[in-house]
Amino acid sequence: MTAPHQDSHPDAGAPSPGQAEAALPPDSRAASPPEPAIRTERLTKRYGRVPALNALTLDVQQGEIFGFLGPNGAGKSTTIRTLLGFLHPTDGRASVLGLDVATQSVEIRRRTGYLPGGIALYDSLTGMGALDYLAELQGRPPVRRAELADRLQLSATVLRRRVRDYSRGMRQKIGVIQALQHDPELAILDEPTEGLDPLMQQAFYAILLDLRREGRTVFFSSHILSEVERVCDRVAIIRAGQLMALQHIDELLARRKRKVALRWRGGTPDLSAIPGLADVTVHRDQVRATLQGAMAPFIRAIASPSLEDLTIEPASLEEAFLEFYADGDDNPAEVAG
Amino acid sequence: MNGALLVQTWRWQAVKLAIVALCAVGWGWLLPLFYAQFSDSIRTLAAQNPLFQQLSNFGSGSLLTLPGTVTLGTEHPIAIALLGVFAIGMGAVAVAGERQRGTLEVLLARPIPRRGLVMTLTVALFGLIAVVIAAMLAGMTLGAATQGVFDQLNVSRLPLVWVNGFLLWAAFGTFAIAASVSFDRSGPAIGLSLAYLMVNYFLEILGTFVPGARWAQEYSLFHHFQPTEILTGSADPLDFVLLLAVAVIPVVYALVVFPRRDLPAPG
Repeated sequence: MTAPHQDSHPDAGAPSPGQAEAALPPDSRAASPPEPAIRTERLTKRYGRVPALNALTLDVQQGEIFGFLGPNGAGKSTTIRTLLGFLHPTDGRASVLGLDVATQSVEIRRRTGYLPGGIALYDSLTGMGALDYLAELQGRPPVRRAELADRLQLSATVLRRRVRDYSRGMRQKIGVIQALQHDPELAILDEPTEGLDPLMQQAFYAILLDLRREGRTVFFSSHILSEVERVCDRVAIIRAGQLMALQHIDELLARRKRKVALRWRGGTPDLSAIPGLADVTVHRDQVRATLQGAMAPFIRAIASPSLEDLTIEPASLEEAFLEFYADGDDNPAEVAG
Repeated sequence: MNGALLVQTWRWQAVKLAIVALCAVGWGWLLPLFYAQFSDSIRTLAAQNPLFQQLSNFGSGSLLTLPGTVTLGTEHPIAIALLGVFAIGMGAVAVAGERQRGTLEVLLARPIPRRGLVMTLTVALFGLIAVVIAAMLAGMTLGAATQGVFDQLNVSRLPLVWVNGFLLWAAFGTFAIAASVSFDRSGPAIGLSLAYLMVNYFLEILGTFVPGARWAQEYSLFHHFQPTEILTGSADPLDFVLLLAVAVIPVVYALVVFPRRDLPAPG
């Protein structure tokens, strides 16, 4: 079992709101600790004896895009549904925007936008009718609707058609708009790019990044690792209802093993002292290995005029993800940041 | 209560309501026609044959008087079908149908308390039932006027008949809503609600045709729908109270149970 630990975020670029908080002097942090957008403390949900969610503890900071990863049945939707008050926790507690999910779910839903996975809409309504109806129920004006419809290329003509005539992608676009049209402080999106074509996925990512720029928080579940890698500040990986990892994306990537291939002229040097290098196989003048950890010591160690070729495959979230799912036991949890 | 949800629910039912209300007016109009055209013949046959006597009385109704015909018509399977369209058809799918279609997710993602949802759907259902019963009574009044038997209809007491009928069908409707909040699919909710209606109807019929089983009628909600007694000035207020209580209990159940239910992701 990996012991939970806290790491600082290594990203030297523009800080995300979560990082900005970490950068504050200790005194000011103590004076006004910002309320996390989402906080769960040992949140547990069991159906009879079957655990769907097991002591999940995580914080989602305000203003960040948070990815929630896991295969089908891992507990992603259970978490989301518990946060929105659809499910009642068996144990533990959770708050959204500082409001308790058990007692203040109506107020949470007033300030939140939610896109359910595989959204179902009212088939007899037009696209515009559905959006009007849902905005009216929300009780807040749809201030972002026009902009979102424009960016997702939903024209007025399309919005006048009945939902029953829509393709899956168009329904998903309506789903995205209904979740965000009232400009919520927090968007909870369950598999948001399902059914969107690549062009619309790009448009959707741009929307998310704009939301973050405006200080909105986005919590989204996905099993499309490339999109999480692309837009999220932090990611939680969940398996069988247990948190396996909670880290900044680049930190997670930095910890991953990369495949490296080297070719030498005139014999292979001794590589055993290079930190992080493992699984070394030598075939004539070719060396293949995996590298984990910082790149600089490795580069320094292999720097030599006889090095003819070097290939380092980029670390991908997919490998990170697969690593957490590779071993059979359910060991929680690597937590950072 | 949520105004937007209430208005939209009614809007969705508008066409169905128009058709059912029109049919209810037509059915109501036919009852005085039957009475005017056939009551004398039936009275003669009933005097000659005990079987006809038995058949001319059904439940609390009778073809031998206009108030009795009104009762018979409002307990007739056609009237039950017309009112069941909403009381059972809409009530049982009100929540379970949304859940089955997956739209309950979208609905409950709005700041609508679950109790508010139940109350709004109940009020919407009450409105529809009220209109259909009013349409049926309007048809009867019109029929009585056109058939020249208007003087036999105590019009000033019709509002009480409307209240009595409303309470009866409200009781079936709220039972259907209680079933609806208890299931994730419409099928079981509709089945249970229909079974409840059928059992009540069966008890009423049983008591009508089997003198030894007359006690069973007391347990039928239909037996506490008493247009004849109301129109002849001998109504029992206890019938109203009982129907009201039976209508309220499922609402209380739904208000307690639905907010406590877990709503996992649709399968």
